[in-house]
Amino acid sequence: MSGFKRDWNGNAKRQDGPKAVPRQVVRNAYTPMFESIRDELDEHHDRRERIVKASRDITALSKKIIFSLQRVRRIESQLPSNIQFEVDSRLAEIAKLLATLAPDIQGINRYRYARSLMCLEEFVEALTFAHYLRTQTLISHADLSPVVEDLTRKGAGAAGSASEDAVMADASDDTAGTATATAEGKPIPPATAPATTELPTISLTHDDYLYGVFDLTGEMMRFATTSTALTGAMAGGGDDKDAEPRTIVHDMHELGTFFEMLPVSSGNKFQWEKKLEVTRQSVQKVERLGYDRIIRGSERPKGWVPDLSAGGDQGGGQSDELE
Amino acid sequence: MPPMIDPALFDQLKTKIEEDTSIRKELDQILDELNQNVSYTQGVLSRIHSTPRSRYTTLLSQVEGGINKEIEMVGRLSEFASQYPYYKYNHKWTRMVQDAISTVILCAWLGGMSTDSKPGEVGRLLKLEDIGQIFNVPVNLKDRDAFHITIEEYLLGLIAVIDDLSRLAVNSVTLGDNAMAVQISGFIKDLHAGFQVLNLKNDVLRKRVDSIKYAVKKVEDVVYDLSLRNLIPQEGQ
Repeated sequence: MSGFKRDWNGNAKRQDGPKAVPRQVVRNAYTPMFESIRDELDEHHDRRERIVKASRDITALSKKIIFSLQRVRRIESQLPSNIQFEVDSRLAEIAKLLATLAPDIQGINRYRYARSLMCLEEFVEALTFAHYLRTQTLISHADLSPVVEDLTRKGAGAAGSASEDAVMADASDDTAGTATATAEGKPIPPATAPATTELPTISLTHDDYLYGVFDLTGEMMRFATTSTALTGAMAGGGDDKDAEPRTIVHDMHELGTFFEMLPVSSGNKFQWEKKLEVTRQSVQKVERLGYDRIIRGSERPKGWVPDLSAGGDQGGGQSDELE
Repeated sequence: MPPMIDPALFDQLKTKIEEDTSIRKELDQILDELNQNVSYTQGVLSRIHSTPRSRYTTLLSQVEGGINKEIEMVGRLSEFASQYPYYKYNHKWTRMVQDAISTVILCAWLGGMSTDSKPGEVGRLLKLEDIGQIFNVPVNLKDRDAFHITIEEYLLGLIAVIDDLSRLAVNSVTLGDNAMAVQISGFIKDLHAGFQVLNLKNDVLRKRVDSIKYAVKKVEDVVYDLSLRNLIPQEGQ
C-alpha cells in the first residue's frame, strides 16, 4: 500500500506526525530556550526594519533639499524665499521621521544600527550645504549636533499644527547663531526644556559628520559650476567690499587641505580613501573654474549674464564658451 | 569675514580620530592575547577526536586550564571595552568571543566545567546565562551600553560546537564508543529542531544555521551504519 512507510526493522512507522519516541521529551528541553531567543531576535529584526525604512525616507528627503539648494545662485545670508520654503517643509518631514527613529537608536543601539543609518550622512550633507550657502563657512560637529537634536524634539511634538513654523524658525536660528550654541554647550534651550527634556534625541557621531562633509565638497563643486556659468561670477566674497573677497575656489582648497591633513580614520580606511579621492577631483574641478574665470572672464562684458529666457540670441556664442 | 573652517574644528576632529586609533591599537593587543588563549584551548580540545571517553577527565582538566585563561582575558576585554560604545568595536572581537564560547560549551557537553550545583555530565548544554556566569560578564545587555555576550555570539558558538560534535560522532565510533555517536545524534537533532523555531533574516546567522543540516545528515549516516549492523547499544547496557 502506498503511503505506508516502514523503518529499517520492517515495523510500520507511525503516520500521525513526527516520531513520538522519548527524544521528544529531550527536544522539549531546548524548545523554551529557543523560543525566548526567537522573541529577542524578532525584536531586533523588527527594530532594524523600522530603522531602515525611516532611514530610506530621510535619505530621499535630504536629497530633495540638496536639489532645492542647487537652485540657489549666490551665497547670501538669506536663501531665496521659495527655496527656503521648500527646504523648511522637507525639514519638517525629516523632523517627524527623526522623532520616530529616535527611540530605536538610544544608548547601546546607536552604534548597533549605525550601518542602517546612512541617512544621517546624507542629512549632514544637506544641512552643511545649506549652512555654507548662507554663511560661506563650514558648520562644526558641535554646532550641528544640537540642530539635529532640536529637529528631533520638534518632530516629536509635531502633532500640533503650528509646529512646522517652529521647526523652520528653530533650524535657521540655530544654524545662523552658532555662537550661542557653542556658548551654551550641552544644556537644552530653556524655551523647549520643560516639556521635551525627556524625549529621546538623535546623537550625531563624528563619522556621520565627517562623511557628510566629504559629500558636501561634491555639492559645492556642483554649485560652483552652475553659479559661475549662470551669474558670470565666482560664488563667494559676500556683499562687503573686502580687500580681496574669498571665493568658493579658496573654500574648496581649504576643505581639500582639511581632509588631507586629518589622520586617516583607522576604522574604515577603504571608504575614507575613496571619499578623499572624490574630494580631490571636486577640488580640481573648481580650481579649473577659477582659472577659466581669470583667463576668459576679462573677455566678458561687465554685468553680462547669459539670457536664458529668450533662447539663442546674440549672447549664445559667449555663453557656450563660458559654460 | 569668518574663515571657511574654524581651526578649532580641525583640532577637535583630529583629536577624535587619534583617540579612536589608539583605542583600536589597545584593543588589538588584548585581542591578540585572547586569540592565543582561544587557539590553545581549541587545540587541546581537538584531542577529543582521538581520546577514549575513559581519559576525558585528564583531557578536560587541561581544557579547563585554557578556558580559565580565556575567562581572564575576556574579563580584561570587558573592562576595557565597556568604556566605549559596545557596537562601535564589537566587530573586532565577536569572532574570537564566539570561538571562546564554543570551547566552553563543548567542554561542558563532554562533562567538564562542573560546579558544586551542576556536576559535569556528558550531554549537558550550557545556556547563554551559564556562559555569562562562567565568563563573569553580562549577556544580552539592553539597558546600558557595556561589554556583554550577545545572543548571536552564543548561537554562532553553539553551531560551531554542533559541527565539532558531528565530527566526534565519526571518531567515537572509530574508538569503539558507539553510545557516544548515538547520544550526539540525538543532541544535534534536538538542537536542529530548536534552531528551526527561530525566524531568521538573511544574515550570517541564517547562513550558519542552514549548515546545521549537514551535521545532522553526517551523524544520521553514522547512526544508520551502526543500526544496520546492530551495533547500537541497547538501553540499560
